[in-house]
Amino acid sequence: MHINYKLQDRFDLAIFIPAVVLMIFGLLAIYSSTFNHPTASGNFQKQLIFAVVAIIAFFITFSLPQQLFKSFVIPLFFASLFFLLAVLVVGKTVYGAKSWFGIGGFGFQPSELAKLGTILMLAYWLTYKSRDINNLLDIGVALAIGFVPIMLIMLEPDMGTSIVFAIITISLIFWSGISLFGLFIVLSPGFVVFASLFGVYAFVTALLLIVAALFFFKRDLFNSITVFIINLSAGFFFDYALKILKPHQQKRISSFLDPSADPLGSGYNALQAKVAIGSGGFFGKGFLHGNQTQLRYIPQQWTDFIYCVIGEEFGFIGSVLVIALFLIIFLRLFKLSATAKDKFSVLIIIGVLTLFFSHFTINIGMNLGITPVIGLPLPFLSYGGSSLLINMVMLGIVMNIYKNRKLHT
Amino acid sequence: MDDNNFGSYFRRRIIFIMMIGFFAICITQLFNMQILEQPAYSEKSDENSVKPIYQTAPRGVFFDRNHKVMVGNKPSFTLRITPSTYDKKLNPYIEAILSTSPGYIDRILKQNESYSKFIPRRIAKDVSFKVIAWYEENASKLPGVDYIMETQRDYSFSIMGSHMFGYTKEIPMEIYQHRKNEYDIGDDIGFGGIEKTYEDYLRGDKGIKYMLVDAKQKTIGRYKNGEEDQTAVKGDDLVLTIDKDAQSVAEEAFKNKRGAVVAIEPSTGEIIAFLSAPQYNLQDFAKVTTNEVWRDLNNNPDKPMFNRASMSTFAPGSTFKMISAIAALEEGIIDTNYKINCGGGYQFGDRYFKDLHVHGTVDVETSIEKSCNTFYYSLVNKIGLDLWSKYAKKFGFGSKSRIDIPEEAAGIVPSTDYYNKVYGKNGWTKGFVISLGIGQGELNVTPLQLAQYAALFANSGKSARPHFLKGYTDMHTNLFVEVKPQTYDIGISKKSFDIVRRAMYLVVNGAGTATNIRSDELQISGKTGTAQNPHGKEHSLFIGFAPFNNPKIAIAVLVENAGFGSTVAAPIARDIIKAYLIKRNKEENKNLAAVTIVQEGKIAH
Repeated sequence: MHINYKLQDRFDLAIFIPAVVLMIFGLLAIYSSTFNHPTASGNFQKQLIFAVVAIIAFFITFSLPQQLFKSFVIPLFFASLFFLLAVLVVGKTVYGAKSWFGIGGFGFQPSELAKLGTILMLAYWLTYKSRDINNLLDIGVALAIGFVPIMLIMLEPDMGTSIVFAIITISLIFWSGISLFGLFIVLSPGFVVFASLFGVYAFVTALLLIVAALFFFKRDLFNSITVFIINLSAGFFFDYALKILKPHQQKRISSFLDPSADPLGSGYNALQAKVAIGSGGFFGKGFLHGNQTQLRYIPQQWTDFIYCVIGEEFGFIGSVLVIALFLIIFLRLFKLSATAKDKFSVLIIIGVLTLFFSHFTINIGMNLGITPVIGLPLPFLSYGGSSLLINMVMLGIVMNIYKNRKLHT
Repeated sequence: MDDNNFGSYFRRRIIFIMMIGFFAICITQLFNMQILEQPAYSEKSDENSVKPIYQTAPRGVFFDRNHKVMVGNKPSFTLRITPSTYDKKLNPYIEAILSTSPGYIDRILKQNESYSKFIPRRIAKDVSFKVIAWYEENASKLPGVDYIMETQRDYSFSIMGSHMFGYTKEIPMEIYQHRKNEYDIGDDIGFGGIEKTYEDYLRGDKGIKYMLVDAKQKTIGRYKNGEEDQTAVKGDDLVLTIDKDAQSVAEEAFKNKRGAVVAIEPSTGEIIAFLSAPQYNLQDFAKVTTNEVWRDLNNNPDKPMFNRASMSTFAPGSTFKMISAIAALEEGIIDTNYKINCGGGYQFGDRYFKDLHVHGTVDVETSIEKSCNTFYYSLVNKIGLDLWSKYAKKFGFGSKSRIDIPEEAAGIVPSTDYYNKVYGKNGWTKGFVISLGIGQGELNVTPLQLAQYAALFANSGKSARPHFLKGYTDMHTNLFVEVKPQTYDIGISKKSFDIVRRAMYLVVNGAGTATNIRSDELQISGKTGTAQNPHGKEHSLFIGFAPFNNPKIAIAVLVENAGFGSTVAAPIARDIIKAYLIKRNKEENKNLAAVTIVQEGKIAH
């Protein structure tokens, strides 16, 4: 096979081609799940247009001068915060969440724009001049950059996207070289909160583990007590937050903890998704021949449950192929992050990688029944214009960084 | 800023391991689900999308012995309500269109409350097309209401036969619990008579149509184009021993009377006619039986639900005299030369047992012909209670005949043991026995037993278990399976029978008590009886058989509160015998003619 080294030097096909193949898989799955659907039968054509627009956007981003991104960071971040605020006021409610702007026949999700804005902002802040990542104030500001969009998105409410923002924030701080103790401070409240989901005993056990860890770190008493109080209050705050959650969100959490408790509610989708994938077998039931899909056992399958269309109709082979394509993209992004010429670029690539990977993990995990049902689209496959557009723009930025990796400014 | 830590090797490792690790978890889970557990998931997926629709099989049809339909099937609409999606506010509208009383739907829903609310309940069977048209027009406003086409029993073949046919009814919870494999909720099950006894033949096999449904249970199409569907197999058709014409004559005769008729083919035990009057309308049971229908039937003073033919017991009166005669002849206590003088009664101790007439010199033949009580008062005394009782039991009294319907009474034949048990060892006198001689006292028999008794005289002690089923058509093989009669011989000499039979001939054809039904063509022999009835006027009884030389029918007729046997019961018996025998002769002649033609044909070749 002849590889055009000149092209490969400027343009990473190992990312672009898998992404395009995934988009094609997505289009096939969307077609299969909607072609005889009474209300969603136009989704294939729409997604096809989105795909073309997204690829154009990818090339535009790819060809922009790299310096431009840095100057865009602050206005983009605040613009996305503004949109997130605005959507709470004038947004339209889709599936119980106020997360959309309706523009003509199309909708736009500001949280998608905020992903880009937040990644850029965090990368900018964390690599700005002589930042000390172990300085509590610097960590605090970094956390705040993540926390503001998280809170705004939680208000929509869109729990899945909030979780993604939290993961991005934490992993960028982590990548920036935070010490183990610093990471412990950042992560331990999350651990306590998660434990508190399983009841009082788990909550107390988690707090005891925190105390044990504090002894291990051997920090001074003031620091230790501060951390402990942060953890304790996180538990209580979460308990309060749980109460303000919408019933369907509370149900999702409880149905993850005990799937058999609510077989026809949110556990129903998870079960039907597993049945669809499991019944696909090795070769699948064939394109347009999956009965779970064709008989619409899984509502809105073309969004968050797109992977079970692949699993049912293309079987083990198709399912593994899709996962493998994602792995190629992830490993490639990982590799490119090492070649980027500055830390800002590295953090952008790591941010994009984290975004894709967290979406992938939560979505595939939900489809395979190994993580709770959290509504998040599968990048490149799920139906949705905003998400596809921003994903391709982000790949365009990564590709732009790759193109300019040898230039010195 | 600590440059060494930014994107350190350690951090790279962690991220790398997470990615590879999650990839490995996904592949493992996919392998588990799609390869190892694929069969289980596939089954679930099929269950999900394939909904079996059961079709009730038409029940087997009842034919008479000449293959005329007596009970058939007809298509009918059944209106159903599924409580899970039904709104009770619709009750008044549906009740109005069904023209039932308010509260009707609530009542039916209440009766079935213990079943899952996702299972449709049959609200009204055999609803008119008007109702279905109304439903179709308003279906969208009637959630939880639907209708199905079913077959339903058709009783429009000019005979009722309610007690022998029995009825079908929705399977009750108690029975359903034991037979879950065979029935579904709401299925009909035979509830009495032949419908119950032969339920397993009549039921047939349900059909299953597999339909594809979406997650909202809306039908999308057929599963595998109907390849796996099973068509309903109709239940086995039964050919009964009943003669429709004889039965219909009996039903006609009892239009305004209470009583019973049982007619038996003597050598085979085949039941030719079986009637308990008044009857009830089986058509009422073909619909969803409402409490009102039940109440009316149960409160009716004539007790239409009661099967008099095999369940009512009474003292058989003079029809029972032949027991004493045959016992005495068989045991050598008397012979044809034995005579007594009837002075109009019999003195026993300090009691005088009366006769209706003064018969003068009476031998055994005349005693039956003229129905002389005096003769039997003394004769039963000579025979003794237990020997008499033994002979009564030989003729099938005091025990069930094991007829093939569930409703049957055994009756009572008193014996020393019986009286000791009831009255205590010294609590009864020999006087109790004297009245048994003329079939009165504590003797209890059913019309069915009397018919069996008549059959034994017709065939000189050889008969067969009375039964309704002549044969059935096995719907799986399409072969007709004939039922063999279970014959028996009560072991009494022909000589004794000849004497008694001749006397029974004279009852009708000599100077006896039933000469009013004499017919040279039919050659009926028999015995009249008048059964004393503590509640009112005597019951009129007649038992008999015909023709005398080669009996083809034995019969017992009971007309409640009608007085003398000869005046009411005997003519009914004659009409039934006539209906059966005359047609039979015609058919035999026809067959003979057919045989002759065939033979002639053979010769011609």
